[in-house]
Amino acid sequence: MSRTARQILQEEFLIARARILELAAIFDRIDRAAQDDDGSGPAEEFEKARHQLELLTRAVAILQDSDSQRASRVQSLMSRPYDPNWREQWTI
Amino acid sequence: MDYIDPHIHMVSRTTDDYETLARMGCVAMSEPAFWAGFDRGSVESFRDYFRQLTEFEPKRAAQFGIKHYTWLCINAKEAENVSLSREVIAMIPEFLDKPNVLGIGEIGLNKNTRNEATIFLEHVELAIKYRQQILIHTPHLEDKYQGTRMILDMLTADARVEPSRVLVDHVEEHTIREVLERGFWAGMTLYPISKCTPQRAADMIEMYGPERLMANSAGDWGPSKPTAVPDLIMELKRRGHPRSLIQRIVYDNPRIFFSQSRSWSDPITP
Repeated sequence: MSRTARQILQEEFLIARARILELAAIFDRIDRAAQDDDGSGPAEEFEKARHQLELLTRAVAILQDSDSQRASRVQSLMSRPYDPNWREQWTI
Repeated sequence: MDYIDPHIHMVSRTTDDYETLARMGCVAMSEPAFWAGFDRGSVESFRDYFRQLTEFEPKRAAQFGIKHYTWLCINAKEAENVSLSREVIAMIPEFLDKPNVLGIGEIGLNKNTRNEATIFLEHVELAIKYRQQILIHTPHLEDKYQGTRMILDMLTADARVEPSRVLVDHVEEHTIREVLERGFWAGMTLYPISKCTPQRAADMIEMYGPERLMANSAGDWGPSKPTAVPDLIMELKRRGHPRSLIQRIVYDNPRIFFSQSRSWSDPITP
């Protein structure tokens, strides 16, 4: 049994709306805190935060495109790369 | 609806949780060996833990009519300690004939290191030597894709490993296809934050079908909900899926997979 796109929207619009609002509020929270940030602290923490923000921004861009498999592509974006030759490098 | 939770860590749960699970329809469960919340210091700690898994937890479960099964290993998180891992692997055969042991697990990778891979392969050797089924842990978050591919590389490179006797757990959208296409069983772990929600699990069932696919709650030390499998049942019902499909995911598939182990006996259901 499969639901129509209209049914899914009807059933899940409020859920999606709530989650988008949560996401918007998280970005707002980050922005507000960034305004008060005096830049002190370990450089690696800033680098990590910059990387995390970039990942979230790129993930949001995936949601907006019209290609399919968005969930899988967001997962791939958030993943470390796989090297098929890893066993040779480790001689395992 | 009766269901089987194929991966749940009841040592981290209360007796009240057993009762709740029974009320929700859980008739059997399998509990893989895992991390204790801290790294253990000696092989004796693992011997005690395996006694807990093979003696105490089955009794706790039985009070509520639930059949409790287990899997044995040293988990990937502690595999960085290679010498301890080898002591534990050497001790595991003492427990393989216990009546609730289904096989070796959950073995796998955590941070995808060389030591983890070495100990993973030694566990696989143990499973082959004693003709045990295997339950696989795939890594968390950003390590999952890389680690899953590495695990599949190691398993498929060994012709003695029968994919139909291996369950690869914690699959998500970016790993499920590869696991199923290579002939393994796949488990989706339902967590509130990391891993997979009941809604996303339902999506994957719709995309990939029910063949060799199951769902579990994992229920461990972190944020997790032991009644997550009934949440998935509710979600599938809400979407209008037939009872036969739901039963296949939450009961028939675990039963078929586990029945390859000589320890398994089907739950008696009214």
